[in-house]
Amino acid sequence: MTVMDAGLHAEIAAFIEDEARLLDDQDFAAWLDLFDDDCRYWVPISRDQKAPGDGVAHFNDEKQLMAARTHRLMNPRAFGAEPSPRTAHVVSGVRIDRVDANGGLVVSSSQIVIEYRRRDRFEADSRVFGGRFTHRLRRDGTNWRITEKRVDLINAVGSMNALAAPF
Amino acid sequence: MEPSVEAQARADYPAPDSTAQDNTALDNTAPDNTAPDYNALVRPSAVHRSVYTDPAIFAAEMRAIFGRGWIYLAHDSEVSQAGDYVTRHIGTTGVIVTRDRDGAIHAIANRCAHRGATLCAFDKGSAPAGHICPYHGWNFTADGRLKNVPNRANYDGVLDLADHGIKPVRLESYRGFLFGTLDDAIVPLVDFLGHMATSIDDLVDRSPSGRVTCSPFVLRHHYRGNWKLSFENLNDTIHPGFAHSASVTSAKHVAKTLADDQPLVASLGMMLANGKPLQFFQDLDMVVSPRGHSYIGGHMGANYMPDTESEYALALIAHHGEAEAARILGVDRHLMLLYPSSTWHARYQTVRIVRPVRHDLTEIIGFTFRLEGAPEETFRNAVEYCTGANSAASPVIADDLELYERIMDGNGCGASANENSEWVPIGRGLHEDRETTPGFTRTPATSEAFIRNQFVAWAAYMGGPA
Repeated sequence: MTVMDAGLHAEIAAFIEDEARLLDDQDFAAWLDLFDDDCRYWVPISRDQKAPGDGVAHFNDEKQLMAARTHRLMNPRAFGAEPSPRTAHVVSGVRIDRVDANGGLVVSSSQIVIEYRRRDRFEADSRVFGGRFTHRLRRDGTNWRITEKRVDLINAVGSMNALAAPF
Repeated sequence: MEPSVEAQARADYPAPDSTAQDNTALDNTAPDNTAPDYNALVRPSAVHRSVYTDPAIFAAEMRAIFGRGWIYLAHDSEVSQAGDYVTRHIGTTGVIVTRDRDGAIHAIANRCAHRGATLCAFDKGSAPAGHICPYHGWNFTADGRLKNVPNRANYDGVLDLADHGIKPVRLESYRGFLFGTLDDAIVPLVDFLGHMATSIDDLVDRSPSGRVTCSPFVLRHHYRGNWKLSFENLNDTIHPGFAHSASVTSAKHVAKTLADDQPLVASLGMMLANGKPLQFFQDLDMVVSPRGHSYIGGHMGANYMPDTESEYALALIAHHGEAEAARILGVDRHLMLLYPSSTWHARYQTVRIVRPVRHDLTEIIGFTFRLEGAPEETFRNAVEYCTGANSAASPVIADDLELYERIMDGNGCGASANENSEWVPIGRGLHEDRETTPGFTRTPATSEAFIRNQFVAWAAYMGGPA
């Protein structure tokens, strides 16, 4: 059941938008700081996957791998990410789906991610991804921390070309 | 009668005067009935760049190589119930693998014998009543017999169902892994596998129950490049130090930030494995065998099975006995490449299908297997490895995909500067073989012997009767 608290909703919607904006700004250090140390960033290949151990995934990252990925994105010798892809996230429909037993929140949103990486391949240099994003948040003092970010792409089951930028 | 409006409109465009046309250019490109000499494209230590970029060569490969080899299709656990099917490809030919009501597994072309539409549009499903074409309702059994044609009376007795079945694809299984072929004359599967059967044994023997099952979750990625490029990359132990150096740099960067008691996660261990010194790979063996197959001995030093060895090993000993379990765990191989259609990693229970789509488009389909009877952690390790080895988001894979596409860019140039740039050298380690037996040749893992071996097979397939 959706949680209807206008003040909380506005605070959470701003948090989700800010998180996406940090990715668009390639401010990866600040982005990583939003996540718990034992967090999970997960892009499954199917909505049927209940837990990351159920099967293979596009992304199934502990924080260490998130850090290595984003460090690599800024490395000019990372051939698969040079030039580094740029993204524009469009965030919409943020909902607080429920409050868990510990006061943590499950938040869903619809997001479109437009990605551009200059590779001299004309139209193929731009791609559009989209789907349902689910964040699990826990209160940390006056801030929120992300314990899990799950991205269910509408084309999750499809065949992907190289993916470098986090959604 | 007045000509129609359409005919009048057409009359405004005069027909070309064929007699006035200069046909010189056409004559030069007229079809030549002599078969192309594909063997001329392969030298002992070089191949011509067109083998990657020429659509006509790709079309010939689909007939001569994929049409004449044993192609990995599916594991029998993917079609466990009567009526279950999966769709796969033999080259660019769609195939349906179905378990029938009596439990037998069959493969047929995914093509209705009427108008040619594909019978199954999706990669898996259940069709216990047969495969019914969505166009006119022709209904085929799992093994391709035509059961029923609606409105058969309209054929006035001329349509004999027996004349319009779909010819079954020849299917053979090795330890539950199903291979299909379009060639009635090919040797039995076990002869095609040769020494490489021991790498499939390596996968199945690791199961403490003797059974493996395929996970329903499958990773697919693709690149805009030729199918051979992935076969020539996977056992290349020199490229990681360059192509994947940024991943090594980033994994090291993160490792440095960890507290002393904080372990490195397995996925970063996998990234670091690409940074081993050259001598490490020079000391490893590569094994190549007839028909283009190969594997690397030694699993490149990455350990993704850290804390379940004991529980897992006990389960394995209970099934196989101590000596056999020790032998099984002692087999230490990295990827096995089964030319031309699949790659195998027994230790991490991962099989990949290399699916050629066009000369410049290839799909890689990654399957994970569960060792029945092993601890859950063993499957999670396989999932972790398979994700790192097959996700398009894997930093290592992303670099490989970039390079495959760059190879297509470089070799697809219309005109080359000189004769040298027409050829791709494959001579690394040409004179370093360590052992030759009738079944295989052993050579350093740094060698391009596996690529030369693939092109020996390529030329034999392509030079044979079409």
